[in-house]
Amino acid sequence: MRITKLLTLGIALSASAQAATTIVFWDFFGGGDGIRMKQIVDDFNKSQKDIVVNRTTQTWGNPFYTKVHTATVSGQTPDVMTYHLSAVPSGLQKNDLRAFSAADLALAGLKATDFQANLVSTLNTDAKAAGKTGLYALPLDTHTYVVYYNKDLLKKAGLLGADGKPTGINSIADLGKALQTIKDKTGVVPAAFSTNQDPATLWRMWYSLFLQQGGTMYKDGKLYLGDLDTKGKAALQTMADWTKSGLLTKNTQYPAAVALFTAGRTAMMFNGNWEVPTMVDAKAKGTIKFDYGIMAFPKLAGNSETWADSHTLAIPNNTKTPMSADKLKAVMTFIGYVNKQGGLGWAGGGHIPSYLPTQNSAAFKALQPNVQYSATAAKDATLEPNVPIFGVGGPVYDAVGNNFTPVLLGQLSADQGIAKFKTALTNFNK
Amino acid sequence: MLKTAPSRTTVLSPQKQVQVRKRWLTAALMVAPFVLIYLLFLIYPSLRVIQLSLTNADLTGVGRNVGLSNYTKLLREPTFYTALLGTLYFILLTVVPNTLVGLGLALLVMRLRRLRNVVLAAFFLPQVLPVSVVTSIWNWMLDSNFGLVNSVTGSTISWFQDPVWAMPAVALVTIWWTVGFNVLLFIAGLQNIAPDIYEAAALDGAAGWRMFRSITWPNLWPVTSLILLLQLIAQFKIFDQVYLLTGGGPFDKTLVLLLYSYREGFQQQHGGYASAIGVVLMVIILVVSGVQNRLLNRGER
Repeated sequence: MRITKLLTLGIALSASAQAATTIVFWDFFGGGDGIRMKQIVDDFNKSQKDIVVNRTTQTWGNPFYTKVHTATVSGQTPDVMTYHLSAVPSGLQKNDLRAFSAADLALAGLKATDFQANLVSTLNTDAKAAGKTGLYALPLDTHTYVVYYNKDLLKKAGLLGADGKPTGINSIADLGKALQTIKDKTGVVPAAFSTNQDPATLWRMWYSLFLQQGGTMYKDGKLYLGDLDTKGKAALQTMADWTKSGLLTKNTQYPAAVALFTAGRTAMMFNGNWEVPTMVDAKAKGTIKFDYGIMAFPKLAGNSETWADSHTLAIPNNTKTPMSADKLKAVMTFIGYVNKQGGLGWAGGGHIPSYLPTQNSAAFKALQPNVQYSATAAKDATLEPNVPIFGVGGPVYDAVGNNFTPVLLGQLSADQGIAKFKTALTNFNK
Repeated sequence: MLKTAPSRTTVLSPQKQVQVRKRWLTAALMVAPFVLIYLLFLIYPSLRVIQLSLTNADLTGVGRNVGLSNYTKLLREPTFYTALLGTLYFILLTVVPNTLVGLGLALLVMRLRRLRNVVLAAFFLPQVLPVSVVTSIWNWMLDSNFGLVNSVTGSTISWFQDPVWAMPAVALVTIWWTVGFNVLLFIAGLQNIAPDIYEAAALDGAAGWRMFRSITWPNLWPVTSLILLLQLIAQFKIFDQVYLLTGGGPFDKTLVLLLYSYREGFQQQHGGYASAIGVVLMVIILVVSGVQNRLLNRGER
């Protein structure tokens, strides 16, 4: 008797106390991105009492996607996670993603048309290629490949225009000449570029040069290798020549490349826009002793297409223990907050917000240093081929590291590098 | 309580029979926990891996039966041979050097009187560190820009990214990390050699190198061959140091079998194929350790 009374009392109490829903959120953000995402999550947790988001940061790249897949298989998934748009084809192939219905989006006060159209259409293409329909991820941003430059050193080399932007870089040959001029006039290694244990940076640069010459690896919904021997080889040869002439830093690890540029030991850095916070914070702290600028990756050939990717938010496809309606509502509320209230803070990471109201806001359009490159970069952004073997954490990054890096180090010829790369792609795609 | 003396095989009285049965039961109960764990965590997974290697499963462990096609694919795959050669090269760089360094250190430590335990502890210390700590230490030591080694020698080699030096660098780290255990085994072996043999040899006028060649080395051989065998098995299973220090790079120059298996299984979801690599590695280790046991034990007979 007494026990039942106590029980009913307990139930009544807990119902009135309105226990908060806990959401487990996995991301892969380190550095400046990590600081900004932490801020958004903290703000969200402070802004209301019903939902608590527990954020866990996993290792970027392949380990993250391996973990997500094993979590999905075992049915012990986070409730929401970050996901690269380039990894979506592979995620769909592995059945790791759950589709967002229009009703789900409505819970967050969102609709598909609120997001940058080309990202949504890419997601639709990916879904169709995997024999599915629906929206399997919600784009949060576009991030792309940019050029950071040291205005003081460029001025010394006579390459800085009156508008504070580099001048006379309109073709691949021009860029080579400019780099050579910097080397001759200033004595520094012209451009910081990481290749050591970092296939990603090499891939982004090579892919941009390949795209700009009109190359493609995706035709009629399938992997296409026809352009590699011509445009692909030309791009690789160019990079190998630059490395050989000492125009790009050789055998440098990612953090070292960033350190070389911020220390003023190189005049340029080819890297993603996610290093913007590094520059902004260092400038604020006074550790950067020079004037820097950022520009969208220049148009060097037939077109201006540049490598880009997009961070998205997605829900793991947990078939063993599907999400309860309450949990879904909580997750969607959080996703809505990240896009709406968090959007501008996230743009501080150098990214271009995908949520159009934020992208079109006056605040974003005035955001420094994003304004120097965002408008152009957004237009040029070209995603990786919609084939499951591509994308962050996919096997192609390994193939680039294994077959292109030695070409830049002079250990293989461009011919051999491309031939090995083609063999690897063919094998992956079996 | 336990009488382990062998029972005589005469006709047993019923009482005796009960006793014998009891004894068996006790023994079985004692062994049961180990046997259970052994079956559950070693034998069962091994059988599952063999079964998986005959399917086209992804990471989830469910797939269609494809017979031996994983194995035929594997034996025609150049990357497999790259990984096999990488593993063998690593073994060449570690097994014998590690044994010799261990023996040398053990002989030196034996000469000490007062500081013996302190020195021994110093040699053994790296052994208790987890692999991630060891690799972090050496990543800093051998860093091309900020490393101690390069700033002392003035070299500009980035050890773990250099196609020539990457594997030797990983081998060096491995020896530094694991030699302490060998030193301990050797010291135990050295202490087991009866002092009167040395006395007799000294009376016959043996000393120094001669003493080592004729007395120490042959008497130590059982321990040495054991260490060689343990080393060989351990180094075949190289994964952690390579994964943490080089990731198999530069361009597969430090790719080893288990890393190849990891890539296939966890990066490309080829669970069946990755299992086949594991099975092949298991067979190689069984064969090689069998052969080595035969060869090395010949010295005893």
